[in-house]
Amino acid sequence: MNDKRERVTEEDVMAMAGELPLEVVPKRDLWPGIAAAIETPAAGEPVRRGYADGWFARAAAVLLLVGASSGLTWFVMQDGGDGGALAPPADGYVFEPVSGSFGDRYTLGPDFQDARASLVARLDAELEKLSPETRAEVEENLADIRRAIAQINVALAEEPDNALLQELLINSYAEELAIMRRVDGITTSVMRRTDI
Amino acid sequence: MAADGEESGSETATAVDEAAAIARAKAGDTAAFEALYRAHVGRVYGLCLRMTANASEAEDCAQEAFIQAWTQLARFRGDAAFGTWLHRIAVNAVLGRMRKSRREYDRLQVVREVHDEPPPMGDGGGLADLEQALGELPTGARQVFVLHAVYGFSHEETGDMLGIASGTSKAQLHRARRLLAQQLDGTTA
Repeated sequence: MNDKRERVTEEDVMAMAGELPLEVVPKRDLWPGIAAAIETPAAGEPVRRGYADGWFARAAAVLLLVGASSGLTWFVMQDGGDGGALAPPADGYVFEPVSGSFGDRYTLGPDFQDARASLVARLDAELEKLSPETRAEVEENLADIRRAIAQINVALAEEPDNALLQELLINSYAEELAIMRRVDGITTSVMRRTDI
Repeated sequence: MAADGEESGSETATAVDEAAAIARAKAGDTAAFEALYRAHVGRVYGLCLRMTANASEAEDCAQEAFIQAWTQLARFRGDAAFGTWLHRIAVNAVLGRMRKSRREYDRLQVVREVHDEPPPMGDGGGLADLEQALGELPTGARQVFVLHAVYGFSHEETGDMLGIASGTSKAQLHRARRLLAQQLDGTTA
């Protein structure tokens, strides 16, 4: 028995670092969100608008969009799958403001990111189990929400202290998460019925 | 010099195409900008992923970087390679989000429900171990290692992007190398 093994030296580490692929393909296409965010201003123009046609109008549109997307997805998913009504996740994500103020800047914490990443990783496989029509609707609505998130982030870059935008961002992320969880839930439900 | 700046010779045609796409994008052509996005998203996302060690954060950072690049495109003079310029914007996007995360983590929490697996990177074997070990490095050491050892930025460039002295960049690299060697020594047999 040989218990000798090569030690990994710092030089080895540097050599390995040089072999790492520089390109990593993201799991989802980021372009739709980027396209939505850059559609309005021309290249090189700062994304800056007046109050009336700036973030407030955009935020209002986003709010409607997110609400409509969520409602539509809810309707589609109730109507799809096995045709039965799907109960909303009783243990949905709960956002808990620990202090009374959002502070001067805002972002979602790492726990949220972990949860979101996990659902994103499972989403493709779960979508495959839905009917093509339902899948198309869900994908379209998720794309809408992601465009909204990108737009809110652009607006927040201009006005990071804006509490309404901060709220909109968290609501949009929550909607995205809720839809992904519903997809996860409904396909699990369908799987159970198929198994019988 | 960043690895991205090594375009030459056989890549001349690509460089010409890129220059044309940049010119069209500056004029407001979003299709041209999409071509630039397609050409560079892999490196930008890879950089963001290794700096954040979180796939969702990295997607958001990469998206934000391209949006910022579009708004700042008129300022791109071609002094550096377009990819290098994009990388700098991506690093700023990552640092900006990390600053926000640190500030808000104590103020806003979400109930943890699921644990994500480490994002898949590399090609298995020793490189996969290195990718995993990278994600466990302290943030400062990881960022320096990624920018200098993986993406080829000099210590001066790395320090400039991270807002630290080049000497600090060297010290962080030394720390990262030591920690990674220790970690890989325990995981490779």
